[in-house]
This record gives sequence, structure tokens and C-alpha cells, in this order.
Amino acid sequence: MNQGQDEAALGKTYDLALLRRLWVYIRPYRATFIVAVVCLPLTSACLLAQPYLLKLGVDWYIEQGDAAGLTRIGLLFAAALLGEFLFFYAQFQATMLVAQRSLADLRRDLFTHVQELPASFFERTPVGRLVTRLTTDVDAINEAFSAGTLTIFMDILTLVGIVVIMLSIDFHLAVVTLALLPPLLLILNFFRTRTRVTYRTIRERLARINAFLQETLSGIMVVQVFAQERKMFAEFEQRNRAHRDANHLSNMYEASLFSIVEALSIISIALMLWYGAGQVGQGLVALGTLVAFIEYLQKFFVPIREFSTKYTTMQTAMTAVERVFQLLDTPVTITSPPAAHRPHEVAGRIDFEHVWFAYNEEEWVLRDVSFSVAPGESIALVGATGAGKTTISKLLNRFYDIQRGRILVDGVDIREWDMHALRRRVGVVLQDVFLFVGDVATNLSLGRTDLTPDDLRQAARHVNAEGFIRELPGGYHEHLHERGANLSAGQRQLLSFARALAYDPAILVLDEATSSVDPETEVLIQDALTKLMQNRTTLVIAHRFSTIQNADRIIVLHKGRLREVGTHQALIAQRGIYWRLYQLQYAHAAGTAPAHTDGPVLEEI
Amino acid sequence: MQRLWGYIYQYRYRYMRGIACLVMTATLAMSIPWLLKQAVEGIEHGRPVREIVSTVLLIIGIALLQGVVRSFSRFLIFNVGRDIEYQLRNELFAHLQTLSLSYYQRQPIGDLMSRLVNDVTAVRLLLGLGIINILNTPLYYVYAMAAMLAMDPILTLLAIAPYPFMFLVVRAMSRQLMERTLNVQAGLADLSSRVQESVSGMPVIRAYVREAWQNGVFGGLNERFKTENIALARLRGLFPPLMKGISGTGLLVVLWYGGSQVIAGRLSLGDLVAFMGYLHLLAWPTMAMGWLISLYQRGKAAMQRLEVIWQTRPDIVDGRENGASRSGQTVRGEIGFRHVDFAYPLDDRRPGGEAGNGHVPDGRTVLHDITFTVPAGKTVGIVGRMGAGKSTLVHLLPRLFDVTRGAITIDGRDIRLFSLAELRRCIGFVPQDPFLFSARIEDNIAFSQPEVDGGDVRRTAVLASVDGEIEDFPKGYETVIGERGMTLSGGQKQRLTLSRALLADTPILVLDCALSSVDVTTEGKILQALRTSTTEKTVLIISHRVSAIRDADFIVVLDAGRIVEMGTHTELVERGSMYTELFQDQALEEELAEL
Repeated sequence: MNQGQDEAALGKTYDLALLRRLWVYIRPYRATFIVAVVCLPLTSACLLAQPYLLKLGVDWYIEQGDAAGLTRIGLLFAAALLGEFLFFYAQFQATMLVAQRSLADLRRDLFTHVQELPASFFERTPVGRLVTRLTTDVDAINEAFSAGTLTIFMDILTLVGIVVIMLSIDFHLAVVTLALLPPLLLILNFFRTRTRVTYRTIRERLARINAFLQETLSGIMVVQVFAQERKMFAEFEQRNRAHRDANHLSNMYEASLFSIVEALSIISIALMLWYGAGQVGQGLVALGTLVAFIEYLQKFFVPIREFSTKYTTMQTAMTAVERVFQLLDTPVTITSPPAAHRPHEVAGRIDFEHVWFAYNEEEWVLRDVSFSVAPGESIALVGATGAGKTTISKLLNRFYDIQRGRILVDGVDIREWDMHALRRRVGVVLQDVFLFVGDVATNLSLGRTDLTPDDLRQAARHVNAEGFIRELPGGYHEHLHERGANLSAGQRQLLSFARALAYDPAILVLDEATSSVDPETEVLIQDALTKLMQNRTTLVIAHRFSTIQNADRIIVLHKGRLREVGTHQALIAQRGIYWRLYQLQYAHAAGTAPAHTDGPVLEEI
Repeated sequence: MQRLWGYIYQYRYRYMRGIACLVMTATLAMSIPWLLKQAVEGIEHGRPVREIVSTVLLIIGIALLQGVVRSFSRFLIFNVGRDIEYQLRNELFAHLQTLSLSYYQRQPIGDLMSRLVNDVTAVRLLLGLGIINILNTPLYYVYAMAAMLAMDPILTLLAIAPYPFMFLVVRAMSRQLMERTLNVQAGLADLSSRVQESVSGMPVIRAYVREAWQNGVFGGLNERFKTENIALARLRGLFPPLMKGISGTGLLVVLWYGGSQVIAGRLSLGDLVAFMGYLHLLAWPTMAMGWLISLYQRGKAAMQRLEVIWQTRPDIVDGRENGASRSGQTVRGEIGFRHVDFAYPLDDRRPGGEAGNGHVPDGRTVLHDITFTVPAGKTVGIVGRMGAGKSTLVHLLPRLFDVTRGAITIDGRDIRLFSLAELRRCIGFVPQDPFLFSARIEDNIAFSQPEVDGGDVRRTAVLASVDGEIEDFPKGYETVIGERGMTLSGGQKQRLTLSRALLADTPILVLDCALSSVDVTTEGKILQALRTSTTEKTVLIISHRVSAIRDADFIVVLDAGRIVEMGTHTELVERGSMYTELFQDQALEEELAEL
């Protein structure tokens, strides 16, 4: 992951502003949250009372031989014990309820927000990072809660309480007993920074092992076919060793810290007895105080042992909070205007008026493109790679906003349309067919409940997809694997056609797939395309000659400019760019003599 | 489990050292409450301070010594756990690499990953934490019980009574806890794949305005995840207070019953302090013992799952002759298929075939009696409908699968006689699915020969017509694939995989629909370049495009796993049967173009 970003985030870990934002998610559950907050000091109080009761028991009753008094103290002790148990459990449960509910809300908001982010955002953000934000990061916050890290506040309360009580019982004795506190804090601080670094190293190295494994096993065929097993093993071993070494270091820190805290707790007790021995003899300190102090020290070192782990968890969580809110703060730049255009009927007229567009500033992909498409007309967009054909398909439904000029649908600027209304009328079939994990029917309806199974069948039949769907063992209920891995490229295309047809858009933008399929499927696809183009405005980014033939007009783009418009015959007669493209791509494909020159032709124009 | 004992045996000396430290730690730790008792009794009875001070000094000395041996015991044993984990992972990885493709077709990668990550971790915990606790707990109990019984048997029994209860509760709950933890993990995995899919499918979702649908699906998973998390938290939250409660109860008994014994003069205050000390020391080991049961169960189950991987023996292994007889001799590249039949093994429960590769996952024979010979240096085109067996046929050549009947020969020698490395090093294979590693472009091309220089890499990239596009990337050949959203088009990937195969400089080259996403013009250019530069290579090429195979020395037409026709393009077109039928539409386009 991004190193620099992490560092910067760690720098301002305990940012109050972040906590305040987190509070927005906690607020709906504040009643439960208050229960948790109230239970925190109560738990501490019950815990702190126990050694004190022990002292009273020893000094007042055991020393005095008062058995009845001892019973009273015993009952009080039992009550404190029960109280600690109940308040602790209530506190933890309340915290968890609040945490789970507010984190679920946070995840929901993140997901909804991500769905609204502009297409440009996804271009610069890898999918993996988004998945991390919504799962691993939110889970890191969750971990902070569910591992009881919030009890770190209770721990601090308890530690302070112990110090105060000890000092008030016997100031001098307490000072001697707690003499080791400053060095202890220094040691803790030393280990805190070390372990933080090693934990992070371990996490990174483990992630590297996992990524390597995942990749090598996915590409095992390539490894075997090139006989590179030994090389891959060497690479794996090196990652594996790095991970182990980091763990060895961490084990050493962990073992040392644990042992040092353990030793210091005993030495503190020893110091107290040393000083206490003389004091008790002189009658300055009660025996019960010694017993109570031993107990307080026991309770003092328990949270200290866990402090380092809790601190790391907490810090990871805070970094996660920061990252998550960063994502939530990414602005949604493409939205519908307040009084949006939402027509009942759409004729399907398209006008591009002097459209200029660039993905990055000033790197124009489209330059001053103007054309009009009448309702029902079909247009083939033709041009060499990088001419700007695919870009046009992304502009019509506002995946991107243009920088200059206007795009109108039915005479209304698309920026004045209600975005969802516009997208419902403009169907886009992408070159890369994306299929969702689920059955065939779901992939056709995309979860729309107003489409009956009959509607879906009809759409599939119309675009020649029903044949292969029926042959699948489960038919329309056949489960599709990740990205439709159990379908061929041609079948995936037919499915995407059926999906578009079921949706019945007034305007269809179709980016034809380039990958070659077997000739039989090819026939089915061509026939389906013809049917799709009937009776609706169609813009096809054409790769097949037959598709171009079927279009009413051809628009030729070259280096972002619209260069030629007309029918096949007219453009061939013109002997311009189209003629050359035709010679290069389609005539050659069909096996006729290639054009007299290769690639450079286009550069000369 | 035998393998596990093997590891323990292998590391026995380090374990023994760790255990020795562990025993010393326990002995020292358990002497401290006893010494405290001495000190408190000394104070209680008003003995000279000097006497008490010597006890106190002894305590400090023991505390320091104990700190040292304790840290040694912990990291000695934990490190052995890590070392075994490291070794386990290495051995698993090495073994996995020897397993044939048919194994990977029936084994989801996600499942293997979970074994290599989660199961190995479970084994490591058992071998580190598990071993420490299984020795520590009985040791602590023996010492503590001896000391406490010596002071007061009845108080011992009363004070210790809650502890077995704690053990039972932890044991019962930890099983539940493990189950719920796994549920939560599974829920998180579901959420991940949902986000992954939604983000990847964003253009479709957006184009069809189906955000609400996705929100609904995510919302459902999110709710379920929340519920599972709450269920886990209910249980998890019980542990800390329960532990405090139970050890507190022991303390209560000491105060109450023990106190009355002091009043009665049967016990000293020092005894009470010692009791309290022992109870504190026993609390954690008791709880750990409860955990240990589930740690053991989990480790054992994990080991069994790993054992399944080991028990899968590689079915495709080096040939008997292992190339020894032929070493030094160069392979010319003559390929012979002799009456080859092939069927995917019946027990292959494969989840569908790969994309565009209509294998049927049953025991059906997919290739029947395939016989043909490709003389060295010749090019053969293989065509046929989807599912005709073209891909399967070429997969047999590098022995990604073994023939069911018949034989395949290279230079007249059965490929099963070669060592695998020797065989595969003479075949440059360009698979249908252009798989690249997330490494630099340069490293991907030089995959088979990392030591090769940049010039050779460039030369093969030029041959594959991808050089220009690589140079256009800001970092050129140093570009890391997959980094920062750095994605390549299907055509670019295919040309890179071709470069990779070309760089291996093999006498045989196999192109399995390898240029399907490359446009026709570029494909023509590449094939032309290959023809002129690699005249001595034997080439097997599968394609749907007539343009790609029309210049082959001869063409094999497959249908339903059988060879139906063979001959040159002209011969086949003249014959006018299957081959011409297959390319009817491309011929039609040819006619149209002439209009």
C-alpha cells in the first residue's frame, strides 16, 4: 500500500476532528453508548474497592479476631466482585452494539458513496484499494472495539485510581512502591515504538507472501510450461524468510516486554516489603496496608502487560478511520441539476455541438466534434485506435462531463437532464462484457423486479442467446462464475445484448468487442446486432464490417476530430480516411490484397 | 499428525532448551509467593528487619533471574513455531508447484490460499503457544498445589474450586468462539468479493442505473455481517469479566475462610498472602488450558487439511530416461501425434472449463485417435469449432495433461521419456488466457531467462509488435504491470505473452488462440515477422481467423475431437467441405469487400 500516505496518516493519529466525525455515526446509538461510558468508571470503582476491602478485613477484623465483621467484609467483597463482573460485561456489550451498528452504517455510506463517485476516480484508484477501505479498514476499527481496546480508557482510569488510593493510604510507602514507575514508562515507550514498526513490517510481509502465492497459483500453468518452478520457489522462499525474520524480532520484543513487566511487578512488591518491614515494626504502617498494596500492584501490572497490544490496535484503527473518511470526502462531481429534465417519452435525437473533451487537462481526446443523429438512425463510429470512438460512448450518458461545447439529447443539454433518467434512456453495451456472480436471469435483469421471466426469455430469444442458455444445465438459473468464466466470449456478448434489449433504451451505444469468436457464434452475433439496431437510435463503435454495412451513416473520427460522414459507398468513393481504414482493417481481414502501405498511412493525413 | 511429530522431532533440541527455560521459569515464579509469605510472616511476628531484608533481596534476585529465563523460554519456543511455519510453507509451495494443471482445475485458488494462510497459522499456534501452555499449566499446578496443600488443604480445595469451572467454561466457549470467528471471517470475505465485483462492474451498474440493486445486495450482506459480529462479541466479551470474576472468587474465599483461620490461629497472614499469590499465578494458565483444547482441535484439523495437499501425488512427473541419454543433443522440433486419445479423468470435478474453451467436465473422451506429424521447422494450423478439442490438443504437448492412449513424440522420442524441464524448455507456449505477473514488463518477457539482457527483450518485443506501445509508457520496459491501475489491453497482454515465449528461444512454438484480441492488421504483421525470423521453428497455431492460418504448411481441421481434414489452405478450399464451411462467413466478407 501507499507508504507515504500511511506515514502522513500516522502523524496525526489522535486527531480530534476524526473522532468528532466518527461521533456522527455513534450518535444515533447514543443511549447505548452512554450506558457503556457510565459503566466504565463503575467497573473501575468495583475493581479498586477490592484490595481496600482486603485491607479493612485484615486491619479491623482479622487482626482483631472479629469473625462477624469478617463476614460483613466478605459480603462487601463479593458485591464488589459481582459489580465488577456485571458492569464490565454491560460496558463491553454496549460498546460492541454501538460499534457494530455504527460501523455497519459507515460501510453502507461508503458503499453508496463509492457508487456515486465519478468514473475518473476509478481510473486512478485500483479496485484493491477500495476493497481495503470498505473491508479491512472498517474491520480495523471494529477490531479496536471488539478486542476491548476501549477498555484502555478504563485501564487508565484504573491505573490512576490505584496510584491515588495507594498515595492516600500511605504516601511514603506508595512512593517507594511506585519508584519503578518512571523506568517502567520509559521501557514501555521503547517497546511501543519498536513493536509498532515490527507489527507493520510483519503485516506488509505477510501481504506480500499472500499476493505472491495467489498470483503464482493462478499462473501455475505459465510457471510449469516455462519450467520456472525453481525460480518461483526461490522468490517465495525469500518472501517467506523475510516474514519469519520479522516475526523472530517481534517474538523477542514481545518476550522481553512480557518478562520485564513481570519482573518489575515482583520487584515493586519486594521494595514495598523492604520499606514496609521497618514501618510496620514501628507501628507506622498497618499490616493490612501491605496486603492491600500487594493486591493493588497485581492489578496495576495487568493492564500494563496488555497496553502495547492495545495501543497498536488503537493506532491501526485511527489510521483506518482517517483513510475511510478520506474516501467519504472524495467529492461527487457529476450530479443532476436541481430542476432536472425528466421526460416521459424520449424520441432519441442526439446532437454533439462543438464538443471538446480531455481526460487530463489539455490533452484533448475530442476536438470540436459536431454531429446530429435523427431518432431511429443508426451510426457507425469508425477510426483507428485512439481516435476517440470509445470516449464518445462514455460522454453520452455522463460518465464524464465535457469541457467545452454541448451534448443534447432530444434537444436538451444532458447536463440539464436528471442523470438517472438520462442513463435509463441511453443504453450502453461495453466491449468488455461484465457478468455478475449469480444466475443468468439475474445477469439479464440486473436485479430489476419489474422484469418477468417471460420478458427476459423474450429478450434472450430475440438476440439469439436463448439457444445456449437452454443448453446450460441450469438454464436461466445456471450459476455464472466470477466474471462469467464458464461462458465463452461469444456467449458473454450475446448475454450483454439480451441485457440491453430487456432494458429497451431509446438510444443504444454499443462498443463492439474485437475478440474473434468461432464462426458459428459470429453469425449469431451479427444477426443479433442487426436486430438491436432496429427502431432505435444507435451509435456503434464498429469493428465488424457487417455492422458498418448495416448502419445508416458512418462517422469517421481521426485523432479526436470528426473527419468524414456518409454512407459506405460515398466514403469509399471519397477515397479519404475511411477508404484507407477499410483497406487496412476490413479488406485485409477478408483476405484481399492489403493496401499498398502499412501503418504510416494514417500519420500522413 | 505424524508429519507434525516429525517437525517437533526435527526441532527437538531447540524445544528442549526452551522447555528447560520454561521449567526454570515456573520453579522461580512459584517460589515467589512462598518467599512473600516468609517476608510477611517476618513482619507479622516482628522479626529483625535484617532478616526480612535478606528475604526481600532474594525475591529481587529471583525476579531478575526469572525475567531472563522467561524471555528465553518464550522466544525460543515461539521462534521454533515460526521456523516450522516457514518450513511448512516452503514445503507446501514446492509441492504445489509439482501438481499438474488438472489439480488446479478442480481446486479453487481461494481454498488453497486459505489453507496456506489460515491452516498454517493454526499449526504454528499449536506448535508455539500450544506447546508452552501444555507444559506450563500442569507444572504451575503441581508447584502451587504442593505449596498450598502444605499450608491448608481445606482452604486449598475451596480456593481452587472455581478454577476447574473456569477451565470447563473456557473450553466450551472457545469452541463456540472459533465457530463464530469463522463466520465473521466468511462474512468479511463475502463483503470483499461484493465490493470487488461492484467496483469492477461499475460501468454496467451505472449505465443501467442499478445502484439501488447493488446497495440492496451489499446492504443484506452488511446486515448479516453485523449480526454475526454481534454474536461473536457477546461471547468474546464474556471472557475478560469471567476471568476476573473467577480469580476474584478465589480471593474472596481466601479472605473469608482464610481470614477466619487466621483468627482461629491456624494460619498466618503470610499464608494468606501466599495463597493470593498462587491463585493469581494459576489464573492465566487455567484459562490457557481451556483455550488449548480448541487450539489443538483447530491445529489438528488444519494439519489434516494440509495433509490432503501432500497426499495429492503429482501425476505428471519426469520421464524414466530423464534426458540423460540425450543431453547435449539439440532438439530439432519434429512433432508426432500417434493415435492419441484423451479424456479428462472422471473424478475431475472441474467448475466448468476456462473461458471460450468448451471442455465438458465429465470423463468423456475429448480427443479420438489423433495422428499427424509436423516436420521440424514447419507450421501447422489447427482449426475447428468451439469445443472441438484444439486447446486440449496443444495442452498435451508440454504434458500439462498426459494422453489417455497413444503417444506424442518430439524428434521421434516419446515426450514421457523426457524430464519435464527438458521437455518444456523446448516448447514456447502462448496460452489462450494471457497471464502476466505483477512485475516489470521486462521481467515478464524475460520470465524464462532472467539473466538475458535488455537487447534480447526488446528484440522479441519488436517481433511481437508491442515494442512501440511499451516505449510509450512513461517507464517503458520498467513499467510494473498492475501497479496504480496500470492495466494493459487484452491485445497488449497477448503480445507480451508472445514475446515471453519467443524469448525462451525454443525449437517449438505453440500459439493457442494467442492473438485473438489483436487486430487483424497487427496479427498479420506479427505472423509475417515470425515467418521470416524463425524459419527453423516448428509452429502450432490455433486460430479462428483464416488470415492467421492460410499460410501454414498444412492445416488440421478438428471436429468433436477427431481430425476430419488435413491439407494446405488451397487444398482444403478446393475440397470444399468442413474447412470452407467453417470460414463461410469470412469468405462472404471477402466477397462483400470486392463489391
